[in-house]
Amino acid sequence: MGNFDRNKGYVAILGWSLNAIDAIDRFDRRYVIVAPSWAEDYANRHDIPFISWNFERLNERSMEIAQRLKDEGVDVAIPLYEETVEWAGAINAVLLDNPRLMGQSLLFRDKALMKRRAQLGGIRVGIFEEAQDKGDVIRFLTRVNQALLKLDGDPNDPIHLKAFDKAGCLGHRVVRTAEDVDNIPDEEFPFLMESHLDGWEFAVEAFIKNGKIHFMNISEYVTLGYSVFVPATPDLEKWRPRVEEEIQKLIDTFEIDFGFIHPEYFVTSDGKMYFGEVAYRPPGFNAFELIERAYGFNAYQAMVMMFDPKTTDEEIEAFFPKEVVDARGHAGCFGVYPRRRVVNELKIPDATENHAYFEFHELQSPMQNKVPKRSAFGTHWGLVYFFGDDPYQLRDLLKAQEELDYYV
Amino acid sequence: MESRQLIDKLEYALEQLEQARPFNKVRFRPAVLDVGGRLACEPGGVDVLYRLAARCDRAGVFADTPWDQPACLLPGLVRNTLEQGDRQTVLIELFSQLRLLAISNGVYMHGGISAEQARHFLAQVMALNLDHLLSGPGETMRARLGRTGNTVSVVFRYLLENIGFADILGSLVHEVRRIMSQRPLQVDSVKSMITQIALARGRGEGGAGTAAADADRLVSSLFGPTQNCADDPGVPLYRERLAQLDADALQGEANAFAAAMHESGLVSDYHAVFLRWLALEQGELPVARDSLLALALGLSSTGYDVLRTFHSLVTRLIEGAVQLGTAQCVYSLAQLLESGMLYSAPVAPALWRQIDLRLSPRCTELLAAVFGPQVSPASRLLAGTVQVLGQPLGIGQGNNPTCQAARAISMWASNDPDYLLHLISRAAHFDEIILHFEGEAVSSAGASGGAVPLDTDPVSVLLVPHLDLVYRRMGELCAGRGDDPHRWINPELHGWWVGRQCFLAVDIHTGGLRDYDAFLHRFYCSYHPFYNGNQPIIHPQPAGLAVTDSTGAFVGWHAITLIRVALDSDNTMRMYFFNPNNDSGQDWGAGVKVSTQGRGERHGEASLPFPQLASRLYLFHDDTEALVPTTTPDAEELAAVKEMALSSWAAGREVGLTPERGHN
Repeated sequence: MGNFDRNKGYVAILGWSLNAIDAIDRFDRRYVIVAPSWAEDYANRHDIPFISWNFERLNERSMEIAQRLKDEGVDVAIPLYEETVEWAGAINAVLLDNPRLMGQSLLFRDKALMKRRAQLGGIRVGIFEEAQDKGDVIRFLTRVNQALLKLDGDPNDPIHLKAFDKAGCLGHRVVRTAEDVDNIPDEEFPFLMESHLDGWEFAVEAFIKNGKIHFMNISEYVTLGYSVFVPATPDLEKWRPRVEEEIQKLIDTFEIDFGFIHPEYFVTSDGKMYFGEVAYRPPGFNAFELIERAYGFNAYQAMVMMFDPKTTDEEIEAFFPKEVVDARGHAGCFGVYPRRRVVNELKIPDATENHAYFEFHELQSPMQNKVPKRSAFGTHWGLVYFFGDDPYQLRDLLKAQEELDYYV
Repeated sequence: MESRQLIDKLEYALEQLEQARPFNKVRFRPAVLDVGGRLACEPGGVDVLYRLAARCDRAGVFADTPWDQPACLLPGLVRNTLEQGDRQTVLIELFSQLRLLAISNGVYMHGGISAEQARHFLAQVMALNLDHLLSGPGETMRARLGRTGNTVSVVFRYLLENIGFADILGSLVHEVRRIMSQRPLQVDSVKSMITQIALARGRGEGGAGTAAADADRLVSSLFGPTQNCADDPGVPLYRERLAQLDADALQGEANAFAAAMHESGLVSDYHAVFLRWLALEQGELPVARDSLLALALGLSSTGYDVLRTFHSLVTRLIEGAVQLGTAQCVYSLAQLLESGMLYSAPVAPALWRQIDLRLSPRCTELLAAVFGPQVSPASRLLAGTVQVLGQPLGIGQGNNPTCQAARAISMWASNDPDYLLHLISRAAHFDEIILHFEGEAVSSAGASGGAVPLDTDPVSVLLVPHLDLVYRRMGELCAGRGDDPHRWINPELHGWWVGRQCFLAVDIHTGGLRDYDAFLHRFYCSYHPFYNGNQPIIHPQPAGLAVTDSTGAFVGWHAITLIRVALDSDNTMRMYFFNPNNDSGQDWGAGVKVSTQGRGERHGEASLPFPQLASRLYLFHDDTEALVPTTTPDAEELAAVKEMALSSWAAGREVGLTPERGHN
């Protein structure tokens, strides 16, 4: 591993991500990776400091890892994945001698609790309820649509179902009809139901220290689950002051002192901002890569700096560029889903490959010809990256990708 | 895309790779390779990659791959990588070649390999992979790599420009001769190769051995094949010289042009100038004009007779078609006259129509866009028409992935020339052709907006989009019939002379073999002279091959034309066929090597011993009943053919695995 600065903190990274390890190894903090035993050989082979831990088992030995890290001299634990967020809370409660952190982490892990807490803090949220069975879903769907004064036969407004404790689009379903409800497998219960908000959805990446936002990026979704880019268009960026206010409310309500959060919001046509959800870990869809492409700093390193209790104000000041104005361009990516039922080969559309904004793609040739039917939001087959000067052109370009066949 | 933007993108990707820790290089490598591969295809792009070669190496482009230790690389494996590797592996190989070039030029030092070793390595790689230089990406590569196939060509061309020549001159010349023995219509890449040779020879490279002498002969046949242009004087001066020549000198000039052209298959620009001057010069010539023209075209008594019979048509063809920039059609014109095709009643009047044809704005625009402004679109198309009629077997599919259209144009050019002229005139004037499928009119309307095949002749550029569309629409009309659509399309698309019965070795639903023994038996009884009552092939017949690579593995289905079956000089029964692929000389594995010269092939024909061809065949046509009694083929030979198929493309098909569909 690289050299580290003894005046700065010692961090434990919860979870295994080569990108994160690569970035943190290049940074100036001492670190140790806490991850399942299957990664141990690899870590040893590449001189990556490693402690093996199974995050799936919660038992009477859970305290052991916190104590072990404390003995090791670790200052703080940083979660990489949704599944390690409450572990970080529990460990940091011990390391930082602050029991409140454990409870806080549970709020991040349960979407229903999270919404209630937000609501209590005066943050505007949509209508939501927990569902235990299909009856709950039907009732909620009907009630929401009655409230919207729909008549029999009018198409329903959809509702959204989300697993309590999964990241991003995993387990996310959109339900409009009774048949949709029938198609929900029993094992997906219980989950959270939300009314559909017709509006502009976007995500925020906020780097927080001492209860203050030090860098805030707005990620503009072109189409949820398909594409995102940073920094956002001026149309969305003009909401920045309001977004900052909302984030500050979140910080206060959830009593967030340090770290990195990744909330999602809606702006409705009447100009109201609704809180969707918030995660206390790096976002999916490679938002960190996009931020690095646009701003030139490594977001994993920034996150470590935000968690480290020994970080100084001067270091933070020097680290972050100024939002929007310091961006070298706009970086976006598009998640490719095959559009045909049977595909033979990967073929990057000419219009894409010839476009000045196109960077590269991570798509593989298809291993099988039949495309599995997509339920819920599913997973894309790989990302395509773009970079350019004009956010509107980039947005339209990302939108246009949805109509193109990458697999033919 | 602007190279500048790609260079910026490459710079970012390379920085990311440089920063990455060794265990994460693999994450950032694809971006460098992908952007670099695209940059290579831009003007000056390969040069940028060459200058970044050392940095790429240090950044870790080769980390954890065999290319990380250049001293251990083997030149013999490069071909295999290019032919079998996936996109990334091929790009790594190309990056590695550029790095070796930097090492051999002394601009980059790498532990374990000297400049001398690197140079030797590259020379061998070039000599072993010349076809990538000459004919561009073959269909195997195109199917597998898409655009990266072009990257291979440009990088190899760059290497060739930048390494010493002497080492590979012999194999280069051999390769040029091998390609030219097939007399392709498209000779641009061969010409640029010869230009490379000329430049290198001009710098005094290549020594004085037999290879050098042969190379010089090639250079002179392109740049100065006669006494009066041997010094490459330029067109104006050459024209002045012509006016001064006496009868003997003119005959000498004509003879020398014809000899060089028929020997190499290449036509010098001076030849075109000479021919125009002969045909169009108003004043008296010291020798009879027709006899000089016949000499300059190298005609036999047959061709000479056609020339005299159609004197004014030929003059107008020369005037319209033979220009600087279309010189190569002189050879086709000679072949056209020699074939006696003009004696077929509709051909001459159809050519007159072609001479005066008004092109639609769209057609004008298309030809100007593809071929540039040097020659007018009408002349370009007329020259192209002469080319396909004179050399039906010279047509290549260019970069177009579908081969049926090129094959159809070739068949009509040899078998149905007036029909082809009809199609050309309709497409050029109306932007539409109409063919009939089982009585139903199938139009190509709308085809002109589609993808244009590149790197092919003017007639193909014009017609292929129309034919591809018609072919597709015919395919749609066959949807749901439950068997390979070629059964119905082939006779309807090509003509009445395609056998109405279609034999298929493969079940299209399962991809498994279907009645394969009966299939082979019938093929022998239909086409093998020992078993079919010694009947020749009368009309060219479409057939389908399962193309395999040099290891015998299945690549894809491919359309060819069966032309004739005959004994070669070793008494081997061979099938002579036309492959619309740009270079027919291919290695299909397990000893099945397609021959293009020296086994009795006429220019442009490919050939294989009859059993070897049969072992790669999966579709052919024949008429329902034979006119003469057939005899039972040799059972042992059929068994051997079957074994050859089962050990290559048909492996695993006995149980009926899913096939990949579509012709290439």
